[in-house]
Amino acid sequence: MHRLLRGDMLPLPSNLVSRHLVVSSLPSLPPAPFPLRREAHLWYIVPNELEDASLLQDYMKLLSPCEKENVLSIKGEALKKCAILSRVLVRTTLSRYTDCKVNPRLFKFRKNRFGKPEVEHQNGCLWVPPSLQFNISHTSSMIACGVTVDVPIGIDIEEKRRKPVNNILSLAHRYFSPYEVQYLASFMDPESRQSEFLRLWTLKEAYVKALGRGFSGAPFRDFTIRFENSTDSVVPERPKSEEFRIMIDTASDSVNLTANWQFALVELCGSHLAAICMEKDENMPGTEQEFLKLKVWKTLPFVEDKCMSQTDAVINISGLC
Amino acid sequence: MASVTGTAISISARPSRRSLQVFNGLSVVKSVSFAGQRKSIPSIRSHPATSRFRVSCAAKPETLAKVCNIVKKQLALPENATVAGHSKFADLGADSLDTVEVVMGLEEAFGITVEEDSAQSIVTVQDAADLIEDLVCAKSA
Repeated sequence: MHRLLRGDMLPLPSNLVSRHLVVSSLPSLPPAPFPLRREAHLWYIVPNELEDASLLQDYMKLLSPCEKENVLSIKGEALKKCAILSRVLVRTTLSRYTDCKVNPRLFKFRKNRFGKPEVEHQNGCLWVPPSLQFNISHTSSMIACGVTVDVPIGIDIEEKRRKPVNNILSLAHRYFSPYEVQYLASFMDPESRQSEFLRLWTLKEAYVKALGRGFSGAPFRDFTIRFENSTDSVVPERPKSEEFRIMIDTASDSVNLTANWQFALVELCGSHLAAICMEKDENMPGTEQEFLKLKVWKTLPFVEDKCMSQTDAVINISGLC
Repeated sequence: MASVTGTAISISARPSRRSLQVFNGLSVVKSVSFAGQRKSIPSIRSHPATSRFRVSCAAKPETLAKVCNIVKKQLALPENATVAGHSKFADLGADSLDTVEVVMGLEEAFGITVEEDSAQSIVTVQDAADLIEDLVCAKSA
C-alpha cells in the first residue's frame, strides 16, 4: 500500500486545484468509529518495525512545512525517525475519526496557553469534529496517541524495564508527594521499588498532560496517586490483592488541580507501561465512573492496522472494565 | 516525552540562534531569539576575565563544561557523544523523566534548587548552564 502512496504523491501544492488532486489520490486510511463515553482509544507505532526508508520519506510528505523543518534540524537518524513517526501518528489517527474525509496533511495544530498541543479548527471545507481530544507520548521504542471524545485525555508510556540513573528515593523525595515517598520506601526489593516508581511516574505524567497546564502548572508533589483496594488501608503499602483502584488526591483548596479524573494503567506488548488519564463523566452513576474502556490498535499507517484489545499485548494492571 | 510534558517535538519551531537555512530552495534567515520565558533579566555583568556587555547572564565556560558532563552522565550517553552548549535536550533523546533526572543531577552538583517553571524554559544545554550560573550567583550574593 505504501507503494501506491509513493507513486501517486505530488509535491506540496500551492493552489487549490492541485491540492484537490493530491487529496483524492492518497490511499485512504480505514475510518475509525468515535470513542464512546468513558472510552479511550490508543494507537501506537513501533519504530523498529519500520525499515523501509522510502516509506519514511513518504511519511515526511504528510508533515507541515514547520514540522518538516523541525525534523530536518534534528541530528541522529533514530531521533529523526521518531519525530516523523510522531507527527504521522497524530495526523493519520485524527484523520481516521473524520471518516477519512480530512487528509492527514491538512490538520493544523496549535498549543493552548500552557503548551498543550491541540487541533486548530478552521472555518471552511475542513471538517474536524470539535469534540475530538488527543495526546501523544513516546519512548525510543514506541510512539502512542490517545484519543477521546469531549473529555481531555493525557497518556504516558515508558519502557517497563527503565532504570532511572538516580536513586529512586532521592527522585521521589525531590519530586513526589510525601505519601508517595512513603509508599515507595515500603518496598525493600529494588526491582519492585523501581517498578512502582515507574507506575507512579507514568500515572502522574498522564494526569499532568490531561490537565494541560504544563509541568509547572501541576507540580508533581502537589498531588498524590495511590493504589487502593477493598481493605482501604491508610498506611501506604502494596495493595494486598491484585486488584486495586488508582486514586488521586489533591489539596482541597487547590483550584487548578482537580480530582475528577480517572486512570487506567496497562502493560503493552510485555515491554511498556501505558498510563491513561481522562476526565470523569459526572453524569454517570457512581460506580460506573470508576472504570474506563480502552481500545488499542498497533499501526503502521497506510500499511497495516491491528486491533490489539483483548489480546496478550494489552494487559490491564488497573482501571479498565 | 522530549519536553517536560506534552509535545514530543515543538510544533512551532523556536530558533535559538541566527542561522541561514535553505528549505525548498528558499533561503530563510532566522531571527535571533532570546527565549522570552527566561527568568534572567538583561544585565551588564562585570567579570574579571571577560568584561563585555552580555544581554543575559551567560554561563562561565567551566560551568558549561561541568553541565555538559553531568548531562552526558545523566542521559547515559556514550563517551564519544557530543554534548555542547547548543545541544538541545530533545535532540539528545531526553524525555520528561530524563529531564528531571538531569535537573536533579545539576541541583546536587551545584548545590542549588531549580524551580519547575524555570526548568520548563530550558531548551538547550546552554540554557541549563545559564540558569545554573544565575542560581549559583544568586545563592552566593
